[in-house]
Amino acid sequence: MNPKVLIVIPAYNEERSIANVLAGLRQYAPEFDRVVINDGSRDATGSIVLEMGEKQLRHVSNLGYGRALQTGLKYALIQTYDIVVSFDADGQHRPEDVPGLVNALLDSDADMVIGSRYCDARPYSGSFSRKLGQILFSFLTRLLIGWRIFDTSSGFKAFRASVCEEILGKTFWDFHTETIVRLSLMGFRIKEHPIVVRERLHGYSMHSLISIIEYPFKTLLLIAAATMDGFLERRAR
Amino acid sequence: MSIQGIIFIDILGLGFLILIINLVRTHRLYVGYGIIWLLAVTGLMVLVSLQPLLAFITAFVGARFPASTLSLLAFVFIFGVLIFFSIQLSQISARQIDIIQSMAINERLEQEEKAENKERQDS
Repeated sequence: MNPKVLIVIPAYNEERSIANVLAGLRQYAPEFDRVVINDGSRDATGSIVLEMGEKQLRHVSNLGYGRALQTGLKYALIQTYDIVVSFDADGQHRPEDVPGLVNALLDSDADMVIGSRYCDARPYSGSFSRKLGQILFSFLTRLLIGWRIFDTSSGFKAFRASVCEEILGKTFWDFHTETIVRLSLMGFRIKEHPIVVRERLHGYSMHSLISIIEYPFKTLLLIAAATMDGFLERRAR
Repeated sequence: MSIQGIIFIDILGLGFLILIINLVRTHRLYVGYGIIWLLAVTGLMVLVSLQPLLAFITAFVGARFPASTLSLLAFVFIFGVLIFFSIQLSQISARQIDIIQSMAINERLEQEEKAENKERQDS
C-alpha cells in the first residue's frame, strides 16, 4: 500500500510565488496531498490558494515559520498521514525534488530526510553570516550527535508520522538544528539527500532582520535544552 | 536606620498595601499577583521595622551594611518576579498559539466535512 504523503507549505505574504509553487507541486508531485499554512498573510496569498482549489489552514495572526509548520504536523496526524514533507512557499525549493526526497525516506531506515544544499562535499554558499552559521551549527551538531549534518537550516524535509508525534510535544523554534539534535538524541535516524535550491525571486523571507540576529541565540538555547533533555532521559532509563 | 526612616517606609508600605487591596477589589489586579506584592511590601515593612532581624540577615549574607542587604533582597525579588512574569507570559503565548492552531485546523476540518456531506448528497 502506498503511504499517505502530505506536503506542508508554510506561507506568509507569498502572493507572488505561491501560485507557481502549487502549480509545480501539482505537476511534479501529483500523487501527494498538499496543504498551505497561511500564517496570517496580509496579502492575497489566501485567496490565491483558495482560487486554485488547494487546501489551506488559516492562522488568524502571524505565528512564525516553526508554528506554521507545527500546525501542518498536527493536521497531518489528525488526518493519519504516514509521511510529511515541509516545503517553502517562496519558490526556492524545486517541486521536482519532492518525489526524490520521499523515496529517499522510503528506501532507507531513516526517520527524517533533510533536503541538503551542501552534502556530497558541495561548498557552502550565500552571505558570510549564512556560511558562518552553517559551519558553526554543522560543527555543533557533529559535536553533540557524533556525525555531521551539512545543511542544518534546510526547510525542505521529509519525516515519518512517528517523528511528528515526538516533536510536537517538545520545544522547537524553526525545526532546524535544534530538531536535528533532539531527534538524534532520542534515537531517530536522520539522513541528508542532495537537492538544488533556487534563488528567491519574489517577496521577502519569513525571517526578519531581528529574527536573523536572534536566530543563533535561540537555536543555541534550544540545543542546550534538547541536550539537557537527552541527558535526563538517558539517566531516567 | 532612624525611627523617622522606619516610620516613613512603614507609611509608604501601608499606602502600597491599600493600593494593592484596592486594585484587587476593583478587579484590576489578579488576586494571585496581588499576593506576591502584598507579601513583598509586608516583608519590607517587617524587615525595616525589626532592626535585629535585618542585622541578623546582614550578618548571614555577609554584607557590611543593612542597606546593602535590602538592595540584595530587592534585586532577588525583582529577578524572581521577572522570571515569574516571563513564565506567565510564555504560558499565555503558548495558549494563544494553541488556540490559533486549533482554530485553523477546526476550520479546515469543518470545510472538509461540509464538502464530504455535499458530495454524499449529490451522489
